[in-house]
Amino acid sequence: MSLDVISAILVSGLVLGSVYALMASGLSLVWTTLGIFNFAHGAFMTVGAYIAWTASDQAGLGYGLAAGIALSVAVMIGLGIVLERVVVRPFYGQRDFLLITVMSTLAAMIVLQKGTQMIWGARLKQLAPIVPGKATLWRTTISAQETLIIVLAPIVLIALQLFLSRTRTGRGIRAVGQNPDAARLIGIDVSRLFYVTFALSAVLAALTGILLGSVRLLTPQFGDDPLVKALIIVIFGGLGSLNGTIVAAYAMGLVEAALTYAIGIYWTPSLIFLLLILVLLVRPQGLLGKVTR
Amino acid sequence: MMTGRNWRPAALVAVVVVGLIAPFFVQDTYLRHLCIIAFIYAMVAASWDLSLGYAGVFNFGHIAFFGVGIYATGLSAKLLGVDPWIALLLGGVAASAVAAVIALPVIRLQGVYVVLVTFAFSQLVLQVVLSQSQVTGGSQGMVRVPTLWLPGYNFLRDYKFGYYYVGFALLVATTLALRRIATSDFGVSIRAARDSEDYAISRGIPIGRQRLKVLAASAFFAGIAGGFYVLYLRVASPEVFDFSTVSLVLSMVLVGGTSSIYGPVFAALLLTFVSEGLSNVDGLGVGRFILVAVLMVAILLYLPKGLASIFARR
Repeated sequence: MSLDVISAILVSGLVLGSVYALMASGLSLVWTTLGIFNFAHGAFMTVGAYIAWTASDQAGLGYGLAAGIALSVAVMIGLGIVLERVVVRPFYGQRDFLLITVMSTLAAMIVLQKGTQMIWGARLKQLAPIVPGKATLWRTTISAQETLIIVLAPIVLIALQLFLSRTRTGRGIRAVGQNPDAARLIGIDVSRLFYVTFALSAVLAALTGILLGSVRLLTPQFGDDPLVKALIIVIFGGLGSLNGTIVAAYAMGLVEAALTYAIGIYWTPSLIFLLLILVLLVRPQGLLGKVTR
Repeated sequence: MMTGRNWRPAALVAVVVVGLIAPFFVQDTYLRHLCIIAFIYAMVAASWDLSLGYAGVFNFGHIAFFGVGIYATGLSAKLLGVDPWIALLLGGVAASAVAAVIALPVIRLQGVYVVLVTFAFSQLVLQVVLSQSQVTGGSQGMVRVPTLWLPGYNFLRDYKFGYYYVGFALLVATTLALRRIATSDFGVSIRAARDSEDYAISRGIPIGRQRLKVLAASAFFAGIAGGFYVLYLRVASPEVFDFSTVSLVLSMVLVGGTSSIYGPVFAALLLTFVSEGLSNVDGLGVGRFILVAVLMVAILLYLPKGLASIFARR
């Protein structure tokens, strides 16, 4: 294996890992705080990218990318809150809360996905890149946008960590995740934090979508593949810890890039799944997970 | 109590009789086609109810078992020249075997991880189908699957008359078998494991083994349904693995009411006609999936036990 190949694998692994980390961190955040697995997360990503496209693209409103991102973030905050209110909140305290919310968020995903198809049609769209051009990272040339993804993902994730550990709201979110009843007793507004968490995760998904929307083509199923990958990542990393999820996301990106090089794009998903089964047979709580919930 | 026990068999016999004589009154090919599709969905929904409802296993790979049945039957009949009737059985056996393998990690997992692994599994099946396109037809789909046959009778004749009765017979047999399993000692033990895991273990129920068996059993009927699906339509595409198929069948289970078997069967018959009827309305070809999803949430909100709870004895 030449250095060129190693470089290509590392760079494409980093791009994939960054996308997965952004995606999976939102899932993990919602899981630790609200105790639900949000199947609509991939659809958030799709909708976020489409809204940015509509506001920015010449074929849409043509206000430019900055306006597109701003509008997308604003809409996603609203959408996150509405979704939490409609498909999650009514089921709190029920015996099969987890199972019910899997089904209700799945329904929400269908509504968002088919809604996207009805509004924007099935024709392929593509966002303008935030930074145009190409960049060379240690022997491998990729688009500047992909470089931006590699750089931006750790910044966003560190900002998320700082938010969760340093701000009052962020600490509240963690407190709710650890013990909702105790959090309520010491005067934390739990229901407000549920909204904040859901909106935050929706924005994270939309951000992923906007970043990826100029690298890949937008379709109503745009978010499906990242959702499935994120799903496998949280099994590997354990849903309970944000750090575990992020480590697993980057590991998964690199493994996928290496496997794609070694055995081709078609067999890679199957082999990753086989790996997953083997890991689960030995460690049912995930590779990095601790036994929780 | 007694009256409840008495009207049930009578009602079921009445439903079966209606099903048997219906084709003599329904001459329209499209309506018969809808009936056959409804029978298939009913089998998938009812068998899903066994693992999801009765056993409480968070199995979200059931549509993949259906898909395994489709491709196992279709490919063995088309490429290996297996007799279609035997291929139909093979579909069930293959789905069951795959379910047993996937059950090995699943029975060691808890809660959300079961959901995630079974979901990931269904994506794996999809990926395998897509990647082996020279065998499976990939995203283009599988075409020219042989039809069912009987000596001296061509199943393509008589406006789907033959397929109607095979489908109906399979549905009745599946429903009775599932009810039988659900009410047997085995069924009682899986319900105990669902409702109170610790107590069930303390009473000596081997929870892992029971869950493996229930997954294999429920997948068997989904596989048979898949086999019949492909022998009837003679084509199959990976679209069956789509999230919208999952949510459509899931809504049938929910609307009918979990842990009842009959509920999902009737809900599937109803929803197939509603959903197909809506697809002919302008602009609702895609929109009907939204309506089904909204219906699903509404049922979860206002009627968590499904329509079956309205008729059930209290």
